[in-house]
Amino acid sequence: MSAAPAIAAPAPVKPEGHTLPVVVICVLIVLAWYIAAIPMNWVVTGPKAEAAGGGLANLLLFSWNEARPVIPAPHQIAVELWKSVFMVKPWMPKSLLFHGWVTLSSTLLGFVLGSLLGVVLAIAIVHLRFLAKSLMPWIIASQTIPILAIAPMLIVVLGSLGFTGLLPKSLISMYLCFFPVTIGMVKGLTSPETMQLNLMRTYNASRSQVLWKLRFPASVPFLFTSLKVAVAIALTGAIVGELPTGAVAGIGARLLQGSYYGQTVQIWAALFMGSFIAAGLVWLVGVAERLILKRMGARP
Amino acid sequence: MAGPVISARELSLVFQTSDQPVQALARVNLEVGEGDFVSFIGPSGCGKTTLLRVIADLEQATSGTITVNGMTPQEARLKRAYGYVFQAPALFPWRTVERNVGLPLEVMGLDDAAARVARNIELVNLKGFEQKFPWQLSGGMQQRVSIARALAFDPRLLLMDEPFGALDEIVRDKLNQQLLDLWRRTGKTVVFVTHSIPEAVFLSSKIVVMSPRPGRIIDVITTNFPVDRTLDIRETPEFLAVAHRVREGLKAGHSYED
Repeated sequence: MSAAPAIAAPAPVKPEGHTLPVVVICVLIVLAWYIAAIPMNWVVTGPKAEAAGGGLANLLLFSWNEARPVIPAPHQIAVELWKSVFMVKPWMPKSLLFHGWVTLSSTLLGFVLGSLLGVVLAIAIVHLRFLAKSLMPWIIASQTIPILAIAPMLIVVLGSLGFTGLLPKSLISMYLCFFPVTIGMVKGLTSPETMQLNLMRTYNASRSQVLWKLRFPASVPFLFTSLKVAVAIALTGAIVGELPTGAVAGIGARLLQGSYYGQTVQIWAALFMGSFIAAGLVWLVGVAERLILKRMGARP
Repeated sequence: MAGPVISARELSLVFQTSDQPVQALARVNLEVGEGDFVSFIGPSGCGKTTLLRVIADLEQATSGTITVNGMTPQEARLKRAYGYVFQAPALFPWRTVERNVGLPLEVMGLDDAAARVARNIELVNLKGFEQKFPWQLSGGMQQRVSIARALAFDPRLLLMDEPFGALDEIVRDKLNQQLLDLWRRTGKTVVFVTHSIPEAVFLSSKIVVMSPRPGRIIDVITTNFPVDRTLDIRETPEFLAVAHRVREGLKAGHSYED
């Protein structure tokens, strides 16, 4: 048995091609969008098309190119995105990159704070049994309060204490995103088997040794699942935090301005920017997950 | 060491369950001497694992006395007097073989860890597999890693709870032979729980036959097989005679139950 390891690394299996189904679904959505834009914009564009002489060509032309549509056509959003990302300097308030960065920075700070809070709460709950009973209801209650209701109060209170700008928004992000981390980590920290816990007991291991050598490593897969949810929620929190503050910068501010001035194309472009940021963040967490779990010996 | 390694007097353990108390151990008397290989054998529910867990201070007896190395089981556990091998390997999947074997050394803060790890991996014939993760090993190899881990901090006493119960017979035979060699070379005291008669007879210098409801000892058989025995011994009349006596004991334990 002392011969060289018999297990060769398995040949990497290429994932099945997902491109075709993805493309098909995207095309279907865009098609449905274009078709839906016709009746939805009818109130605005119907009379204009009639005035221009009617006919299908006019209807489509007006429905899909209205400056202030009820719902803009996909290409209008694409053009707006292109213009506000690539055609203006990224530090100008007209740039979506500028607004995206403002929101991203408070998202990241809130995500880091929220994840830390979530992990610390989970560790406390797992180790102090009375906390599980006494703290958990409050943690759950905190998530049932509509964030839009407390965000303005939080902003006002923090503002009176001299905290403005990044921090209040980050705190709202934190408030939203610690929850999935706490829930996931409580599950993860209690995931070791009785046998593994007994083993540590036979070594007379201290509680902190059990935590760092057994409970925490065992919880890492749970942590990453939670972090993916948390990072997306953190972004939502940052955007929501920008709404009641009258912020002049950020995706939320952009949405608000858009709705004041009826700039639906601008709203949708900002929404898409937000989605891209969210997708990027979730992807990044996924990359970190794969790298770390690979180092921890997960099966390829 | 002068006195016995393990000494139990009138040891009883009652589990309080929701419907009725269960007598897991009833007035158990037992002595295990230095260098003994003692097997507890009996059907499920006879308390053999419970008795092992009491020795390891993973359960506490409700009455009677027990000492391990002359101390209470708790004191012995706090002094890290024994290595414990569970029914399943219970390896940490995020640790390589090497780091799994080194786990007790890390926890206990022992020095010379690298050399101890290497020595014990060699002892269970797993040289070359140090960098593998548990999922890359077979069940038998995983259980050998867990034996190396139990031996890593060089305890004088090895407690094994049906360590080969989940393995097929061919692997089990092989590991029995390796365990016997290991015992002979290291001179450790081993307490071994099993429900396999050939396994108990082949390995043990002392076989403790147990019976369920309530869990108690009904026979203690001392064997005198040569220390360098091989699996062939299982065909000899002496071996069959001991196996027969174990079987009779197990039968007797059941008789006034049914």
